Amino acid sequence: MTITDFLFFVFAGMVIMSALGVVTSKNPVHSIMFLVLTFFCSAAIWLMLEAEFLAIILVLVYVGAVMVLFLFVVMMLDINIVKMRQGFVSYLPVGIAFAVVILAIMVWVVGPASPDVSNTAALHQAVTHGADYSNTKMLGKIIYTDYVLAFEIAAVILLVAIIAAISLTLRRRPGTKHQIPGEQIKVKRDDRLKIISMEAEVKK
Amino acid sequence: MTAEIITMGSLNIVTAMPEIFLLIMACLVLLVDLYLPAEKRQLTYLLAQLSLIITLVLMLMNPVTHTTLAFNEFYIHDPLSQVLKSFILIISFGVFVYSRDYLAQRNIFKGEFYVLGLFAIAGMMLMVSANNMLMLYLGLELLSLCLYALVAYNRDNAKASEAAMKYFILGAIASGMLLYGMSIIYGLTGSLKFTDIATAVATGTNSAQHIGLVFGLVFIVVAIGFKLGAVPFHMWIPDVYHGAPTVVTVFIGSAPKLAGFAMFMRLLVEGLGGLQADWQQMVIVLSVLSMAVGNIVAIAQANLKRMLAYSTISHIGFLLLGIIATTPDGYAAAMFYTISYALMALGGFGMIILMARKGFEAENIADFAGLNQRSPWFAFIMSILMLSMAGVPPTLGFWAKVAVISAVIDVNMVWLAILAVIFSIVGVFYYIRIIKVMYFDEATENTPIECGRDMQLTLSTNGLAILALGLYPAALMALCVSVFK
Amino acid sequence: MITLSSYLILSAILFAISVAGIFLNRKNVVVLLMCIELMLLAANTNFIAFSHYLNDSAGQVFVFFILTVAAAEAAIGLAILVVLFRNRRTIDVDELNELKG
Repeated sequence: MTITDFLFFVFAGMVIMSALGVVTSKNPVHSIMFLVLTFFCSAAIWLMLEAEFLAIILVLVYVGAVMVLFLFVVMMLDINIVKMRQGFVSYLPVGIAFAVVILAIMVWVVGPASPDVSNTAALHQAVTHGADYSNTKMLGKIIYTDYVLAFEIAAVILLVAIIAAISLTLRRRPGTKHQIPGEQIKVKRDDRLKIISMEAEVKK
Repeated sequence: MTAEIITMGSLNIVTAMPEIFLLIMACLVLLVDLYLPAEKRQLTYLLAQLSLIITLVLMLMNPVTHTTLAFNEFYIHDPLSQVLKSFILIISFGVFVYSRDYLAQRNIFKGEFYVLGLFAIAGMMLMVSANNMLMLYLGLELLSLCLYALVAYNRDNAKASEAAMKYFILGAIASGMLLYGMSIIYGLTGSLKFTDIATAVATGTNSAQHIGLVFGLVFIVVAIGFKLGAVPFHMWIPDVYHGAPTVVTVFIGSAPKLAGFAMFMRLLVEGLGGLQADWQQMVIVLSVLSMAVGNIVAIAQANLKRMLAYSTISHIGFLLLGIIATTPDGYAAAMFYTISYALMALGGFGMIILMARKGFEAENIADFAGLNQRSPWFAFIMSILMLSMAGVPPTLGFWAKVAVISAVIDVNMVWLAILAVIFSIVGVFYYIRIIKVMYFDEATENTPIECGRDMQLTLSTNGLAILALGLYPAALMALCVSVFK
Repeated sequence: MITLSSYLILSAILFAISVAGIFLNRKNVVVLLMCIELMLLAANTNFIAFSHYLNDSAGQVFVFFILTVAAAEAAIGLAILVVLFRNRRTIDVDELNELKG
């Protein structure tokens, strides 16, 4: 067993354990933390597949932004954890049975015994790149040229997400006090300050 | 990798002009709306309608003589996309007309509705013109994300937000399934492009690769089943149709079905046509179950929106019949059915919007009681719509059903045709019930129907078009057949 | 020996866990959203593994777009969740029963 094999099994094991943690945790905040761990370990797996840029993006964007968004929402909403767990145990046998069946079928199809996958792997040997190879440069070159339409549409999708999220959640509470910069700038000295002439006070 | 220099000419941008224009206009509407005072909101509406009309003109100005590819073969412009996109634009125009008074009466007449609507239409057009799995996925997500937000658009309404949550969860699961399926197909064929996938499938099917491809196919069929709302993946349809504001229901129920049909054609017929024998079996199951469950459960509904939702499910079953035939005539019949259904759904939900007014939703079948006494004209229009959905001659719906049923008979699936006829007879019952309620029940209230001239005119045109196309179906049928020549 | 199958089995396990999670946590919408993220992660891992072994960049670009879309999707999903909670004071799926029939 080489060192890469060893690392693969370590990280794959952690991905699986933490993914199980996501679905079985009692507390949604713990689930999110497990999901963060899942993403971290998956990023390591992606590094082994020489997808360096995507691995970094997974950590920066997913863990850094999306998971934080999840945390915000979970902590903002007052969720009754005990009630949420009702029915978990009674569904457990069905859930496990279901998962095992799906997994058995999937492993049968994509596993090492499957002729499809071994064909694919045999036809195309994975090319290992040297240290001078830049995954980011390769992606950058094609995303802005070959994939330009997809790139533009992705931008539109992000715009839609902004519009939708703001229009759904932005509320103007009646009692809130806002600054009105225009009014503030228009204020003259005379509106605020009155100079009166009076006799000087003399200390007796 | 060779560093190719791409020029504007090689991108062939002009071909995608309608979409580009629509996206620019959507951004413009967003900006204009921001600076408009509430009483001038009408301008947003007019601008949105104007962009739909110009987009349609741009598209019709660019006649299709042959298939044109653009954006490095990401975008395809062919007869199928031309026809479907034209109908998507026409139907969306109708949806916007129906929406204005409804939104204004409920104090939710905001620019976001039209902005998200325009983006959703752009998403549908991109789905129809997708030439690879990536574009199909992006178009689908653009459409879906807009629709999730639109369902929750009336954010103070608990029913609507519940519907949006259900729609979102099931939609996102379906997207996940679709991606998993796509990843398997990509891995086994080595390409995202539909034509390359088709070639790889054709050369690889004799080997053991077949099992892997079918494995990926299952996920894709499940995802399409979810998105179209075919049984057993239909559970979101009644809840979403019922809970969403009626103007959003009419949007979800009409134009996206055309995009769904295109998704089916691009992914399963163009891309995975080599696995026809496999997906045909799965689609037969979806189709029969949809026709059965849709028609039988619809009978028990007292809420008209729910009833029309179950009727949608049954219509999905019928349109899948045409695809099951897997012949050019079958595809043409399915396309004819989809276009007819989208027009009928537009009218049917449009009637509910017409009857609704401030503080009253007219969702229940009982709300249509005695409509004949209140407005004989709209009772007549509603009758046309219901008869067409039921498939009674001489309406459009009749020819649509005839087309798909004869398509399956042509490929010797007579048992399927017999089942379809039986279920459509079951379906007639609940459509006729509405007509009975309108003409023979006493009106519970006598307030006259009040709504704008534009709405009345569009709805009347909508109803009469279904009658006229029913009397002269040849032109539309010829159009659909010419697409698959 | 690590082969393509090893990666595919890993993502198959992730997919199975996420489907089981959707079954088990059908009461809690937040965990449902997290299960969907796991499902997307499984698909992404598949794409990247195939992309590496096919020596084809298209799979990686697809993942780039899936990550973008998934971020947008999460934002909208959580916005709907917040709207729902404001209206109903619950995110329990069983209590979401106003729409039935």
